[in-house]
Amino acid sequence: MTQLILFNVFNGLIVGAFYALMALGLSLILNLSGVINFAHGGFLALGAYIAYSLLPFTGFWGALVIAPVLTAVIGLIVERVLIRPLYGRDPLYSLLLTFGLAYVLEDVARAIWGAQSVPFQVPASLTTPLSAQFFFLTGYRIFMVVLVAAAVGGLFFILNRTRLGMRIRAGTSDLETVSTLGVNVRILRNLNFGLGIYLAGLAGVLAAGLLGLEPTIGTSLIMPSFVAIIVGGLGSLPGTLLGGLLIGVASGITTVYFPSATEAVIYVMMGIVLLIRPRGLLGEEGRLQ
Amino acid sequence: MSQHNPLDTKISRRRLIQAAAATALTGPYIISARGEQPVKLGLDNPLTGTYAAVGKNEMIGCQLAIEEINKKGGILGRPAQLIVEDSTSGDAGTAVQKARKLFERDGVDFLLGNVNSALSLAMADVAFEKKKILMVTGGHTDAVTGTTCHWNVFRICNTTQMEANAVAPALVKNAGKKWYYITPDYAFGHTLQSGLEKAGAKLGVTKVGGDLTPLGTTDFSSYLIKAQAANPDVLMLLVQGNDMINCLKQAVQFGLDKKLHIAGGQQELEPLEGLPPEARIGTWVFEWYWNQPGVAGVKEFVDAIKKKTGRVPTARTWFGFASVWACALGANEAKSLDGIKVAKALQDFKLPPHVACMPDAPFFRAGQNQLIPNLYVGHAQAKGPAGPDDLFKVTDVVKGPDAAGTLEESGCKMTWPSA
Repeated sequence: MTQLILFNVFNGLIVGAFYALMALGLSLILNLSGVINFAHGGFLALGAYIAYSLLPFTGFWGALVIAPVLTAVIGLIVERVLIRPLYGRDPLYSLLLTFGLAYVLEDVARAIWGAQSVPFQVPASLTTPLSAQFFFLTGYRIFMVVLVAAAVGGLFFILNRTRLGMRIRAGTSDLETVSTLGVNVRILRNLNFGLGIYLAGLAGVLAAGLLGLEPTIGTSLIMPSFVAIIVGGLGSLPGTLLGGLLIGVASGITTVYFPSATEAVIYVMMGIVLLIRPRGLLGEEGRLQ
Repeated sequence: MSQHNPLDTKISRRRLIQAAAATALTGPYIISARGEQPVKLGLDNPLTGTYAAVGKNEMIGCQLAIEEINKKGGILGRPAQLIVEDSTSGDAGTAVQKARKLFERDGVDFLLGNVNSALSLAMADVAFEKKKILMVTGGHTDAVTGTTCHWNVFRICNTTQMEANAVAPALVKNAGKKWYYITPDYAFGHTLQSGLEKAGAKLGVTKVGGDLTPLGTTDFSSYLIKAQAANPDVLMLLVQGNDMINCLKQAVQFGLDKKLHIAGGQQELEPLEGLPPEARIGTWVFEWYWNQPGVAGVKEFVDAIKKKTGRVPTARTWFGFASVWACALGANEAKSLDGIKVAKALQDFKLPPHVACMPDAPFFRAGQNQLIPNLYVGHAQAKGPAGPDDLFKVTDVVKGPDAAGTLEESGCKMTWPSA
């Protein structure tokens, strides 16, 4: 039993790391632009499908590099054309827009790649368990965790050490002042959105290696990411990371005792956090109103 | 209100165009319309969401049947026409609303659908109220032709109990008697698992554990860790569609296929096509398979679908095809479109070879309205001798009556209206 629980804690960390990757992109966009990007799952699917189309030409590794970048470019265009006109309006507008966009992206994927799942193959070297005892530690999953760690490290580096990152953080706390200081807020928001969508694209390529690749692949992954943000705390990227890992472990442990509640448990956690500490574990006060 | 504001006009014109566009998008999708007074068949099936792919395959089968029927003189000498509505994959409210629309506005004589068991049951109530035939294409839960059966509700696909009865002996013989279940937490999964437990118990099988998984589960790793710890002979994967793909993909990456036997009740070509070759494994039941050398009607059907879509038909394509044909044959047999007369004509009605595409003529069992077809037990394969679409190796063609159980066991007590 102890072994079973330990296995599930480890396993939960792996799953949680993946949720965190998606949630970080969402969190970035939400923090700076105040846009709740419901279309994040759609971009994830797009990233995965682009990688699928690239596979025959570039192989898995090439697709892993190129697909998220292409997804980010689409993200930049979408922000410029569709989302920018809605800044400064009631957040409900952008919420409705991205909500609709999620359906549009899903149908675009269905029109281009078909409604049926397509086989997405990852290199055989990654898909074998590393040991018979710890059979759930496959090369692919370890690689995924390393990549998530690298992406998170890179993101924190960008945010803390580069000019762009500092502006994003400054804009997150007070956009008006940043704007008066001569920073072009439009470009800042555009690049920030692109960065968030890049993370969605990356998550998409990784997800396609583990899950069936079909147009709704993003839909089932987006809710845990929202929960991760709320549990971790709005406005805090470390909080989002923590939230992702926590819900991964919580659902892993629940499987041992009460398997049919594996999905429900993360929402119960969210409820408890909202009741006891509405701003989330590491969230700033006053963000959630 | 009375003041004229130019802005208003602009908005209202735009609204008008939007409304027009919306109407055009959601309106009925008329597949074929010929002749003065066509006999209308309404297909109320998923075109969006989780079941979009299988729903679409059923639709293609329906379309082919309509074309063939019209070439062969139609229904009662009138052309047949298919009207398609998107029921969504899981919203019973929408499915019912579309069914009512098909009956009340389009005046269909036959209703067809649904992939989703719960939606099939909801549609059955509407058709029952309207005294019209419902031909259930692909909803498997036992109740449709079991405890909640109706005189007007017929079903083409199998019951979950029939699938369980078909696969259980092969598993006991080839794999072992300790079974562990990973079951989707909704009507279909529950009945399939209890069907397998019942079929297994007769053969001395013990259940060493099982987990219910929510529909749409993406990560099966924690369930697989638990299943492996229980050390079963057979890991029964009863999840379907994309859940099946996720689960199989992860089980193979964990190397579980090398430690225990992976199997399940129902498998389809669609998920196998969506899997990478190394994950096309396991022992399953197919309800229809395109590669049946020497069986009458199969080659013609496969070629006709290939000509239409470029792909081989799946069991779903056949469900749609057989459903439309069954309606047409029933009406021609009854020489009427009246629901009760057609239903009477279909009691113990045998499908002819060009529709059946199976070795033993399938028939609608009287008193239950369940089609009793052949079932195909075998295992998935990465690549078969008949080309890249040959992803299933049939080892055992089970005769329908051997898997169907008795009429009493089905729980169906049918009452007929007096008129």
